Amino acid sequence: MPKNVTIFTTNTCGYCQMVKKYLGAKGVAYEEVNLDEHPDRQAEAISLSGAMTVPVTVVTQHDDSQDVIVGYNLAKLAPAVAK
Amino acid sequence: MNKNLILVYGAEWCADCHRAKALLDQYDVKYEYIDIDANAAGKEAMLALVDGRNTIPTIVFADGTVMQEPSNDELLTKLSLRPSTDAETAIPQHDIIIVGAGPSALTAAIYTTREDIDTLMFERGVVGGLAAVTDKIDNYPGFPNGVEGLKLADDLRLQAERFGAVIELGEVTAIHDEGKLKRLETTSGDMLAKAVLIATGSDYKKIGAPGELEFYARGVHYCATCDGAFYRDKRIAVVGGGNSAIQEAVFLTRFTTHIDLLVRSTIKASDVLQRDLQKYVDEGKITIHLNTSTDEIKGEGTMVSSVTITENGNKKDLEVDGVFVFVGLEPNSQFLETTMIKLDDIGFVLTDSHMMTSMPGVFAAGDIRSGATMQIASAAGEGATAALKIREYLEGQPHPVQN
Repeated sequence: MPKNVTIFTTNTCGYCQMVKKYLGAKGVAYEEVNLDEHPDRQAEAISLSGAMTVPVTVVTQHDDSQDVIVGYNLAKLAPAVAK
Repeated sequence: MNKNLILVYGAEWCADCHRAKALLDQYDVKYEYIDIDANAAGKEAMLALVDGRNTIPTIVFADGTVMQEPSNDELLTKLSLRPSTDAETAIPQHDIIIVGAGPSALTAAIYTTREDIDTLMFERGVVGGLAAVTDKIDNYPGFPNGVEGLKLADDLRLQAERFGAVIELGEVTAIHDEGKLKRLETTSGDMLAKAVLIATGSDYKKIGAPGELEFYARGVHYCATCDGAFYRDKRIAVVGGGNSAIQEAVFLTRFTTHIDLLVRSTIKASDVLQRDLQKYVDEGKITIHLNTSTDEIKGEGTMVSSVTITENGNKKDLEVDGVFVFVGLEPNSQFLETTMIKLDDIGFVLTDSHMMTSMPGVFAAGDIRSGATMQIASAAGEGATAALKIREYLEGQPHPVQN
């Protein structure tokens, strides 16, 4: 189980719901940063992902290594949270 | 007579008798064969067992049960025999596997699961499909004030799950016809189904302009509800003139300072949407460019800075921070290209009047079907129709001949 997981989302984004649903089903706890409520953190999401899109999921492992998953991408998300 | 032995009553001229015997031989099942033409006493014993129903093969099992003219499938089931590959790998089997979990798939699942037909769905993207990433849906019946796409998708999912539908988050990569069963290659391994519904829908097309790929998700976007929030107080271009383009452009006005709407010919959206659009044009928030091609998306570093267009023959650059593309839909049928399922020229799945594809037992509904109207209400309706046709198929009712 990773040390922590942060998801950048917006209110209207369907793919964000899918990431949350997946993590919920796997029992992975996460912190959600809703960019509609916290537009000040948008730059952080862009610099982490290099993209202007949500969801951005940041998975931090116990050795502080990070996986940044852009979009709803199970091929990358599943192994990152299973580490 | 050995009490543990299976008795097969048949005749030399009876093809089904030879078939049944060949199957038993194949699985090394010991049986005693009684030729009813050569053995009158045997024939009488058989008729006594089956109330005079003079049909062969008649097979009497060690437990006393009698089957007349059983299919190979019924015989294998009765003897708890399956082709060895199945037995060794224990491939999971379902009555119906639905590929996709958009409005058509979810509606079909509501119908099948309500009738206790074991139904598994596969979704590689978002449950609810394109409907789930559409801001607001104003033309789905039953919602006088419209409904948010995400809300409609979630309610459809809850309704299907209430009756027992299971949604697997994964992808189907191929479908093989193995007679009564279809074998699906999936990201969760192989699966078998008695019937399959393809309801994979469609996705937004690319325009194919230089810069489109380079700036994907960094200035070029196909989902307004996902990425619109990154364009607060910015200028953007929206490409397209159909219902989706106009609806999403109107949605994006809540973030942006200005939108250039780039329309290849003329606006094809419904009158209601066009009236909505006019309001924003009058306010100066949207500028419409008709007869305009989108030639190139340019940027500096990782950011988009302009889009090059040709409007009525005149080439020019428009300063924008992002480009949202809604230029029509393409079918999610790549996984079918190597199968026996026939597609039309554009890649949509061809079906007959019972919504069955060219592979018996495999059906298609919704946006993926050739001739679909790309409406959520139609997709839901087709899902219901397909579910009922699949039930008929599973019950063994005759199916019309393929077109």
